Amino acid sequence: MDKTDGSRRRAGRIAVMAARNPVSAAGGVAVLLLILLALAAPLVSPQDPLKTDFRRLAAPPGARNYLGTDQVGRDTLSRIIYGARTSIFVAVSAVLLGTTVGSVWGLASGYLGGRVDLISQRFMEVLQSFPDLILAMAISMAIGTGLPAVIVAIAVTRIPFGGRVIRSVVLSVKELTYVEASRSTGASPLRIMAFHVLPQCLAPYLVLATTHLGVAVVIEAALGFLGVGVPPPTPTWGNMLADSLTSLVPHWWLVFFPGLAITLTVLAFNLFGDGIRDTLDPRVYAGVLRATTGPRRLQRGK
Amino acid sequence: MLKYLLRRLIFGLPTLVGISIVIFVVMRVLPGDPLVAMFGAEGFQRLNPGDRARIMSDLGLSDPLPVQYVHWMKDIASGSFGRSFFRGDRVSELVLHRGPLSAEIGLLSVLISWLVGLPVGITGAVRPNSLADNVVRSVSVLFLAIPGFWLGMLIVLASLFWFHYKAPLVVVQLWEDPWTNFQLAIGPATVLGLGQGAYIARMTRSCLLEVIGEDYVRTARAKGVAERLVVVRHALPNALLPVITVSGILMGFVLGGSVAVEQAFGVPGLGTALVTAIVERDIVVVQNLVLLYGVIFMLVNVLVDLSYALLDPRIHHE
Repeated sequence: MDKTDGSRRRAGRIAVMAARNPVSAAGGVAVLLLILLALAAPLVSPQDPLKTDFRRLAAPPGARNYLGTDQVGRDTLSRIIYGARTSIFVAVSAVLLGTTVGSVWGLASGYLGGRVDLISQRFMEVLQSFPDLILAMAISMAIGTGLPAVIVAIAVTRIPFGGRVIRSVVLSVKELTYVEASRSTGASPLRIMAFHVLPQCLAPYLVLATTHLGVAVVIEAALGFLGVGVPPPTPTWGNMLADSLTSLVPHWWLVFFPGLAITLTVLAFNLFGDGIRDTLDPRVYAGVLRATTGPRRLQRGK
Repeated sequence: MLKYLLRRLIFGLPTLVGISIVIFVVMRVLPGDPLVAMFGAEGFQRLNPGDRARIMSDLGLSDPLPVQYVHWMKDIASGSFGRSFFRGDRVSELVLHRGPLSAEIGLLSVLISWLVGLPVGITGAVRPNSLADNVVRSVSVLFLAIPGFWLGMLIVLASLFWFHYKAPLVVVQLWEDPWTNFQLAIGPATVLGLGQGAYIARMTRSCLLEVIGEDYVRTARAKGVAERLVVVRHALPNALLPVITVSGILMGFVLGGSVAVEQAFGVPGLGTALVTAIVERDIVVVQNLVLLYGVIFMLVNVLVDLSYALLDPRIHHE
């Protein structure tokens, strides 16, 4: 089989997935467009997002500024386009960081079991006892507002999800015969984890990473809105919404458009994530649900 | 049952201690000097080193960390929860003053979510893939994407624009002036309720669809029970269990979301107090409020587990 055949086959598989789930495919395309928009921000945005214009303060949407200007005359459209950069960058890095840390942790705790597992389960429980946004606010406040702080704050709230899901996968995989076979040949735990158990975690990892992007975008925006997000000169959607409240009666375009940008981005990420989840493994869904519900110390009677 | 409840609460204690330690550690790694946050950079310059040391020790911030932690635990045990750096108020007073409003918003939002989500979910499950089902599903997907605080801002803006209406900005308790209190609570509760309602509707639909396919439902239909009764009396109770779980998980969404939504509506609840404290870097207030949110979330999860046994006779608690 030559290379073009392989890539054609892959393209065919993607087409089949897309045809089976057109809404998610649309979400995927929207995500792609958003990323392109964020990358090409300097090329596509009509004006400098930071340039103030004191002759056009809080101008309503019109021919010169398609989405109007804010209270210091900055172009709303340009700020929204640049805002996509922060929003997507923060969401993707936070989710990757949090899910990866959580997954590695879950892998170790699930495979090693025993005391390691017990202690890390307790710790995950503690992390999961905080509502997402409140934990993120506290961390972001503590390590000082700024891009890295916001990323870490959101990432920490994602750790327990990765930990729980991957742990449950590992618990079932480690009992499989091929893993036992490798153990019987004297492979070290590290080797078994890396070469035999880890590959099985790839699908749930991808599902976790994509399904949490939407939540991460919302948390980032909320942090910005509450004044503990990426600090002000950087245009972010949350900051724009917070800024709109500085006038006594907020101008509608300063409230409506940034929020619309958040909604559309979250929608795109959610649809895309759902599609990935449905295509990769239908069984994963139950696992994800179980992981988000947390442990229930219940017993089913006979 | 009572034994199970007690056991859960006792097992929850180590987690609680863990929560408090995490909060404590997070609050103490603050790189900024709390005095700079309190007095501003200029005010801080004007303080001489002696004053700085005195204020720090007055605040209890110059003690070793374990001592500070024990002090905090003592404050909690005494019921005062420590005092705010800025206003000198007890945190317990703050919670008693602002808390009822937030609790009301939370409970009202859960009520709204069930009132909206349940009928919507049932409609979808009874006629899957009908026009109504598709419309409802699309709308709920949209609602899952809309950030609550933005929806709140839009509602405030729209009511101001079209009705010249602005909700009052004072803290009014339910027992003082029910009508004003209701005006404060209804906005945030609606926004939070619709957000949860989307999840509830989704869950109700999928669970009910699953149950409706089971044999005992067919039996009920076969013996001629009216379709309404089949759904409401036979299928629904079994479908509700996962929905209740989801509703419990959503409390995390409510507790966190209410902070931003209260801010959007300008409602002076506990969430607004937390945001103010965070902006002012009022460590004592922040650590206690975050702990409070954690404790409430934990208790809700215990309640959800208990409701399992009440609703599903197959489940016995050890």
